[in-house]
Amino acid sequence: MKSKTRLLLLLLMLAGSLTLCLSLDAQQAMPSDAQLLRTYNASREISLVGTVVKYETASAVPPMGAHSIIQTASGQVDVHLGNAKVLEANHFTLNAGDSVRIVGEPMALGEGTYFAARIVQKGTQAIAVRNAKGFPLSPASTLTPAQREVLRGVR
Amino acid sequence: MKRLLTAAVAAAALWATACTGGHPAITPPPPSGNYTSASLTGTYAFVTSGEAITSGGTSATPFSRTGSFIANGSGGITGGVYDVVNAGGTSSGPITIMSGSSYTVNADGRGTLTFNINSNGAPATVNFAIVLTSTKDGLMMDETASGNQASTGSGNFILQNTAAFGSAVSGSYVFDFSGVDASVSPESFVGQFSASGGVVTSGIEDANDNFTLTNGAISGNFAPDPANSATSGRGTATIAGQTYAFYIVDSTRIRFVSTNTGGVGPMLTGDAIVQPTVPAAPSGSFVFLVAGASANGGLTRVARFDVSGSTVSKLLMDVNNAGTETEFSPSQLSNASINYDSTTGRGIVSFQSSSTNVYSFVFYLSSASNGVIQEVSPNDTSPAFAVADGSILAQSGSPFTSTNITGPYAMNWSGLVTSGGTFANQDEEDLLAQETIKSLNLSGTYDLFQFTGLTLDTDRGSTGSINFNGGDGTGGDGKSATLNVNLSNASQIHMEVYFVNPQLAFFANKDNNGAQRIVAGILKAQQ
Repeated sequence: MKSKTRLLLLLLMLAGSLTLCLSLDAQQAMPSDAQLLRTYNASREISLVGTVVKYETASAVPPMGAHSIIQTASGQVDVHLGNAKVLEANHFTLNAGDSVRIVGEPMALGEGTYFAARIVQKGTQAIAVRNAKGFPLSPASTLTPAQREVLRGVR
Repeated sequence: MKRLLTAAVAAAALWATACTGGHPAITPPPPSGNYTSASLTGTYAFVTSGEAITSGGTSATPFSRTGSFIANGSGGITGGVYDVVNAGGTSSGPITIMSGSSYTVNADGRGTLTFNINSNGAPATVNFAIVLTSTKDGLMMDETASGNQASTGSGNFILQNTAAFGSAVSGSYVFDFSGVDASVSPESFVGQFSASGGVVTSGIEDANDNFTLTNGAISGNFAPDPANSATSGRGTATIAGQTYAFYIVDSTRIRFVSTNTGGVGPMLTGDAIVQPTVPAAPSGSFVFLVAGASANGGLTRVARFDVSGSTVSKLLMDVNNAGTETEFSPSQLSNASINYDSTTGRGIVSFQSSSTNVYSFVFYLSSASNGVIQEVSPNDTSPAFAVADGSILAQSGSPFTSTNITGPYAMNWSGLVTSGGTFANQDEEDLLAQETIKSLNLSGTYDLFQFTGLTLDTDRGSTGSINFNGGDGTGGDGKSATLNVNLSNASQIHMEVYFVNPQLAFFANKDNNGAQRIVAGILKAQQ
């Protein structure tokens, strides 16, 4: 029941984000002001729809973490999915050929840009991988109250 | 050193790419030095921050400990208590360190601590590696790997002055508490308070909770723990509405860890350092290190600058932003400014690498040479670029050369590493070593815990080198100093190192040679 509630919540978040959908083309959507790209701003969120070309749990390409190359209608986009363990904890898998919808926004890093995912959806399953301020979630972010209580045994 | 915000956990046993190939195995040098079991005598306040996975758990969770142990000078831990807080807010304590607990100290200052404790009604042990930096302090690393719990993390311990335990908290202090909030988002508080008879009479703080910056007045109070105050210096406090357990170190320092009776709240740790008088405006050379997270992931900045009046010059900064490392030379950093409030010790230093990349840091000085610092880029406005904090220290004793950078040092780093393999992932890495530096070459022994595969290596040999690249070692001449570290069976790890003085240096990795890393650490001379 709790997992259903969480799924509904995530879907509601996703639906809200989709109303802000600006474009299916992340490259064209990137603001020109580089300063805007330094911090995550939910008002800039867009939605990518495409097909997984490649998924790596720990890419050698920064930012550190899981990356996926998504084939969109207008080209390939490097999507940073944060900590792969968050996806795994939610039994969320990505494989080449999967159709996905990703809510997030372009971010600047070094000399380049990448697409920072906040919510990843495949079929009816949607998983948050960043919080609303853009901070990549850890598995600890998703612990249930019961799982938190178990931590009282940590010494 | 500030703990980096940790990410998640690996459950599968893997070999990290950092520990395969590369430099061959290195034979550790035989321990040499003057340390003995008697070097660890007295009551010590300790802190560690890292992450743990318990039996039956599916993932590791960040947690922190702060407490006190009593070493008898002959290998026995005769008592002590500590508090634990986990990410999300569950906290436990005071946990009693039971009889039969023990420690070892080798001639080189390396050793172990073993705490016998009770976990959910059953006997358990937690284990640490230590390196003494004197008989009064040392660095430590959690390396518990039992059937009940695997945990890693870095920290330190400081000899307590038990004569200070009976005094109500009074005086002015500068503090830095950091960790995560109740939602496991990054959080940092730096500030200053004055207390009298256990009551905060005035105080201010700068907060950064999940990229939202605020600042303002704070209140608080302190009360001794009747059961443990006399033996461990433990008490409880409320500061700015948050409850803490605290441990008095001496008249100059108090250690804090957040407590949450309801099981939900922040995971915060930090120290408050006495501010005898508000220092004059900063003058001279300074080095700072901040660590934390941006929206990209983990973040470290290690930097230095000169200040004279309102003029800030000779800037040098190395940044690791989620695995992308950048060094900004003095010519790349401009429009620097500093302002300072001589009534509180609060200041802000700012500079930029371009019109769109402005770096700002708020700091509080506890003395002319020591303070805490928090990033408030860009320009002290929300949303902040990052949640990161750390230490700012006056730089002295240059030029740094093979003549004054010599002898035995303790070395510790902590952060994130990416493993390779089929189930590649990112997770915490902690290293604790003792290194002898001669002619700017390192030789020593280390313990390394990589949670990417729950891989604990102990008593491994290491070598390395320091290179001042033709400069005076301060970085003020634009010539950065580097530290290359060879671990057994691993690719060489490249660091940028900033010497604070000949006895202390901050460092952070400068590239991803061998493995993608976001780590920062310290070199500290052994006395």
